[in-house]
Amino acid sequence: MIAAILRAQLLSMRLGARRGALLDILTGVLWYGLWTGAAVAACVLALQADLSWLHSHLPLVLLGICGYWQIIPVLSASMGTGLDMRKLLLYPVAHRKLFLVEVLLRLTTAAEMVLVLTGGSIGLLFNPAAGGWRAAHLAAAMPIFVCFNLLLASGVRSLLERLLARRRVRELLTFFLLAIYLAPRVLVQSGTGRHTLGGGLSALARVLGFPWSAAARVAVPAASGGFEWLALLSLGGWALAALWFGFTQFERNLRYDALAAQATPLPPGVSRWQERKERLYRVPSLFWRDPLAAIIEKELRSLARTPRFRMIFIMGFTFGLVVWFPMLAGRRSGQVATGSHYFLVVVCLYALTLLGQVTYWNCFGFDRSAAAVYFVAPQPLRKTLAGKNIASLFFVYLEVLVLAAITAALQLSGGLRTVIETLVVVGICSLYLLALGNLSSVHYPRALRPERVSQGGRSSRFQGLIFLLYPLALTPVLLAYLARYAFGSEAVFAAGLAMAAVLGAVLYGMALESAAGDADLRREQILQELSRGEGPLASE
Amino acid sequence: MSTPAILVRALRKSYGSKAAVDGVDLEIPRGSFFGFLGPNGAGKSTTIRMLTGLIPADSGSIEILGYRMPEQSLEIKRRIGLVPDESLLFDRLTGAEFLEFVGRMYGLGRSTAIERAGDLLELFELQADRKMIGEYSKGMRKRVAMAASLIHHPELFLMDEPFEGVDAMGARLMKDILIDQVKRGATIFLTSHVLEVVERLCDRVAIIHHGRIVDSGTLEELRSGGESLEDAFVRLVGAGHQMERLDWL
Repeated sequence: MIAAILRAQLLSMRLGARRGALLDILTGVLWYGLWTGAAVAACVLALQADLSWLHSHLPLVLLGICGYWQIIPVLSASMGTGLDMRKLLLYPVAHRKLFLVEVLLRLTTAAEMVLVLTGGSIGLLFNPAAGGWRAAHLAAAMPIFVCFNLLLASGVRSLLERLLARRRVRELLTFFLLAIYLAPRVLVQSGTGRHTLGGGLSALARVLGFPWSAAARVAVPAASGGFEWLALLSLGGWALAALWFGFTQFERNLRYDALAAQATPLPPGVSRWQERKERLYRVPSLFWRDPLAAIIEKELRSLARTPRFRMIFIMGFTFGLVVWFPMLAGRRSGQVATGSHYFLVVVCLYALTLLGQVTYWNCFGFDRSAAAVYFVAPQPLRKTLAGKNIASLFFVYLEVLVLAAITAALQLSGGLRTVIETLVVVGICSLYLLALGNLSSVHYPRALRPERVSQGGRSSRFQGLIFLLYPLALTPVLLAYLARYAFGSEAVFAAGLAMAAVLGAVLYGMALESAAGDADLRREQILQELSRGEGPLASE
Repeated sequence: MSTPAILVRALRKSYGSKAAVDGVDLEIPRGSFFGFLGPNGAGKSTTIRMLTGLIPADSGSIEILGYRMPEQSLEIKRRIGLVPDESLLFDRLTGAEFLEFVGRMYGLGRSTAIERAGDLLELFELQADRKMIGEYSKGMRKRVAMAASLIHHPELFLMDEPFEGVDAMGARLMKDILIDQVKRGATIFLTSHVLEVVERLCDRVAIIHHGRIVDSGTLEELRSGGESLEDAFVRLVGAGHQMERLDWL
């Protein structure tokens, strides 16, 4: 039965004639090739390490592996990707068997850690300082450590899945998790917490009784002071605790009614806040006529209610600041370069690129099969694309205004002139990106699940294309900045921007017509791609 | 003499080497309630999708309400209402917002679209539901799709399994509305697996099998010797039972 489930899952993941399959294979080969290299490095390092190094550093390495193992399923859960075992509740399969399937499939999400652990274990076996072949405990320690990580990851993920299913909690928790993920990086980059962070991790790794320190003591009996059996017992205890945690969380997940948790609360009557929102949604009708106004209005409503979009929007003005601030502030100097002229522009362009993934690069993505409405309605597709572009631009400028307000409050921007420059630059870059986005939306459409914070999986070709197109789209504006730097003249800069704007407008017009024409010709493929279904287990 | 509501000649559509629709000819007079029947995978949905312009035909001609597809597709789209098999609804809008959006896409003024959306929601008993469409049940989604197909008062309805997943009350309401529309001169092109529904509602029927029309005409013409529509359907489609082979069942 388990074999049948795993086979169905593998069949659903088969590549077939799917577009981008070759790039997926290449990406996979490259990714696991890199980790195979890391495994070889771990083997060499473990082979050459002396006893004192192993004693002090091995627990830290195993803590790192444990952390990686947990963070991947945690991130995937927060982004909404993964497996839905509830689909199998229909069949007469015992829950413990489903749990085994879950754990086995979970192994695939951190196979790179198995590679590294295997490499390190081989190195330790041949290292006389570690005990060499006499260290038979190693054969038991590593599988138990792997099991501990798998079970813990499964439990944590199940717990998070339930939490994330609740309305609004998803965005907050994802934001919190990503903040935890980014915090060490920011601390190290800014140089303020490097020592504290390193010291804290070392202390955590050395604390007796933790699974990573127990595993290290079992793996290197020479450094355990004769307590390797006690360490093995401790590790076994941790694995059993993880089994209990993983299974109980899995059971609760199977019984959990996610639909009920996500249901829209219906307060009686219409609140003042709802009235205000309604008035805001009606604003496009003041500037445009139908169908353009109707499309913009629909986009504003839909996007504002989409958890994934909201998450990216929040990330745009938070992570943009968090990621770029330390870099522009002189990395480890700890000095804040206040008033940096380019800070606001850089952060806003970063936000523009982030928003692109959920708006202009794939503008039919959230509509999925409902995008057929645009093909059935008696309106030219050009208007649909233009309406979606205007809605994207609205959110881009809203993001810019939020960022301008934050940087002004923190005294990070260079005043009104910088804000105006940013608005102009973002507008010009948007022309190029929207032009390219319309073409990519028509040629590389893919269905996006609104409740997910990230898609994951089959987007490698699309992502690869974006990486190629971003520099291209930003080149005209970069040339204008280069001209200002070279000639030291604001007039030259303004002329450069004006040229970039004219060129962008022409390119946008041409791309819009081309994309609309192509959409009409490719409507069958577009709708087929947007209606793509799910596998028996994977919701991906 | 007025042009037929639908006039299709030698329509073909293939996927790879498989012909989903293989030389279909149809002539449906205006004001008729037309049932398009066939087993699963016979080519019903593909035909409807070609009639709405969602997918292009490989060859053949389509003329709807006197306009040629795809040359005059905008004129055609203005005059047809579609209820697809998979409801084409935006999950992040409420029923009222979606109906208003569809009305405006079909050229109605905003206030008219809002007014009609309200009327339709009331008619389909969806007014109290301010939930997102994504939270609707299948039957409710069908009701919204049906309401959306009515909002611009089309001359021709193309409906792919419109009663699937709809409860008895909803189905009755939808049937009454459709019958009323036909009385007012609209044409209905409907596919359904429920032969009793087709038998009760439709005045003309065509049966498609393996992408070809195997028979068409009035109900009386199809049913020979007092047989039911189901008997005629099984006779024409040629489904032979081989249950005796399943001796373990």
